[in-house]
Amino acid sequence: MKTVLIRQAFRRAVLVTTLMLATVTLVACAAPQVPPTESLNMAREAITNAEQADARRYAGAELEEANRHLEAADKAVAAEKMAEADRLAKQARVAAELAVARTGAAKAAAINREMGRGTDALDEEMRRQGEQQ
Amino acid sequence: MNPQSLFKPGLGKKTGAALILSSVLLTGCAMSPTSPEGSESVRAKLTELQQNPNMATHARVELRDAEAAVELAERPVASGEAALAAHRIYMADRSVEIARAKGQIRLLESERALLGEQRDAARLAARTQEADRAHADAASARSAQAQAAALSGREAEELQRQIDLLEAEATERGLVLTLGDVLFATGSAEIQGGTNQNLEKLANFLRQYPDRQVLIEGHTDNVGSALFNQRLSLQRAESVKTFLINRGTDSRRLSVSGYGFERPVASNNTATGRQQNRRVEVVIENRE
Repeated sequence: MKTVLIRQAFRRAVLVTTLMLATVTLVACAAPQVPPTESLNMAREAITNAEQADARRYAGAELEEANRHLEAADKAVAAEKMAEADRLAKQARVAAELAVARTGAAKAAAINREMGRGTDALDEEMRRQGEQQ
Repeated sequence: MNPQSLFKPGLGKKTGAALILSSVLLTGCAMSPTSPEGSESVRAKLTELQQNPNMATHARVELRDAEAAVELAERPVASGEAALAAHRIYMADRSVEIARAKGQIRLLESERALLGEQRDAARLAARTQEADRAHADAASARSAQAQAAALSGREAEELQRQIDLLEAEATERGLVLTLGDVLFATGSAEIQGGTNQNLEKLANFLRQYPDRQVLIEGHTDNVGSALFNQRLSLQRAESVKTFLINRGTDSRRLSVSGYGFERPVASNNTATGRQQNRRVEVVIENRE
């Protein structure tokens, strides 16, 4: 008796879960009508990070691209194209992250170049002083 | 209670239908069977990075993220979803580029340890040599004043005129000419404008007195790290040296040093003080 009851409850649970899954999928396919606030916030944060890392100097094009995407995302929100806005915001974020990464790479390369140059200068100076003696 | 009995009877017609419906819906987002156009090139870029051993070690996490992004971009999309495909390809492409840049950063950082060792070795050798020279220098410095006094009257007069022209200061170390920071742009070691009156005068002076050794010393203010300033001051001194060599001074007469902010001539607490500290001093040694 008890087993039958449990079996029925289980079946119902499976049915409900499956239907919910189907609903979720349907909703996921359809365009959401709420502004993608989280994506937009993350994009803004990433752009701020890039600016603070001095990306304007080292990766200006990437930063510019991020700003362009963010602007387009804001426009899409205004036009109530929320799915598009979400994508654009995510593109803005990833572009800003690339700006940060390229800035880091450019700075790291500059430091290594200077370190190499310093060593060369010392070697050269030594060679010259050796000649003078 | 028998747990197996829960599964035995199957899931029933209703449940089966619902499952089929949900899987149809799930694949509904991705009906078309081929990967979107453009995903191949992103995959190719990623594969290239993955096969580069430097990148594989230095950007492991980023490459994994990029792999996930590329896999998503390769997933087929429904015919009306070209924008989604383009979006995924964009995201994948930038993820790959981020992995590349991060890998480069870490590779450069790992090379830095080696560069540091090389520089320390060079510096140590330079110091050793400097110490050896110090004895000889001390002896020659003592006789320098006497030698200066031994210049004939006419020679001394001409020299004084040249010194005045140069606006140099006669000190124990020799004639000291201070080139102000207007010579360089902030953070840069390149001489601005190409020509500079003071430098031209200096080059003329050195042509007329070819037996004098010259020390070129770079100094900075205390903005930024000691290491950065030391390097910058050395590079600025080097720039002045290059300028003089280009104006015909024998490079063997010219020595350069970068002192960073170790030897300020004014307080670093005011803008004027800092400006005075950013300078290159040219010491024209007394004739030996």
